Amino acid sequence: MAAAKIGRSALSGLFRKSTTYKTPVACRLSTVALRQKFNTVNVAFKTYSTPNLQNGVQSQRKQPFTCGTQSKPIEEIEERVLKVCKGYDKLSCAKLTVESHFMNDLGLDSLDHVEVIMAMEDEFGFEIPDGDAERLVRPKDIIQYIADKEDIYE
Amino acid sequence: MANIPLLGLKSHSQRVCSLYKRALRNLEAYYDRRDVYRYQAVLLRDRFNSHAKETDMRKAVQLLEEGEQELFSVIHPIPRNFATSQGGVAYERVVTPPDWILDYWHPLEKAHYPEYFKRREQRKKEFVAMWEKEYGPADKKDEKH
Repeated sequence: MAAAKIGRSALSGLFRKSTTYKTPVACRLSTVALRQKFNTVNVAFKTYSTPNLQNGVQSQRKQPFTCGTQSKPIEEIEERVLKVCKGYDKLSCAKLTVESHFMNDLGLDSLDHVEVIMAMEDEFGFEIPDGDAERLVRPKDIIQYIADKEDIYE
Repeated sequence: MANIPLLGLKSHSQRVCSLYKRALRNLEAYYDRRDVYRYQAVLLRDRFNSHAKETDMRKAVQLLEEGEQELFSVIHPIPRNFATSQGGVAYERVVTPPDWILDYWHPLEKAHYPEYFKRREQRKKEFVAMWEKEYGPADKKDEKH
């Protein structure tokens, strides 16, 4: 619409001198109208494309979908490791600290240790190879290992 | 050469632990109900425990071989794997290039990030200084590159 008016005004400037004084006013008015229309469209677009709205419906999900591991602070890892250790039936009554040795202090044998490490794998969702697993004899070592794997440092 | 560990050389107890772990994971692949799996796992643990005090090494090695044979014969055709371990859905999905790749950038490419590479050179010098402070200066004849 506006373009047609501009074109007509340019042409009319060539052909008929008498109407030229009207065209700038018409042009100006049409641009203002177009700008207002553009603004409303823009505002509507912004409200409907925010991340919380999906197709105009409020979404319950606050976090984005991710497939990678989320970064956890080292205290959270410690808490989870101790929780898993306490969940193991032979350690549920034991006095468990971060420093306690699984074999020497807590009296587990090597097969129990394998089971604890498997529980850790299930909790944190990645495999711990045998060669690494046999060095993880304290909860502290496990926490450090997991923090190294997930690139967490203090 | 003596410092390099021989890969694949394991002690008897390491082999038993490895077999136990693989057998448990195999049970997990068969029984997806957790309570059923736990029951089978306790039975398996009992079988391992019954021979735990075996003193005759020949008998122990034979038992281990029999165990490996049995696991091989009952191994699950579609085992469950962790996503990022070998056989998992996300295995090697994200490949992180090693840090030394940055040293082989073309100078024109490095010129895009002048501040970073200036700091990187500084860090390399500091690391070499730290290394030599801890382990002494490197021998010329040990350098292979």
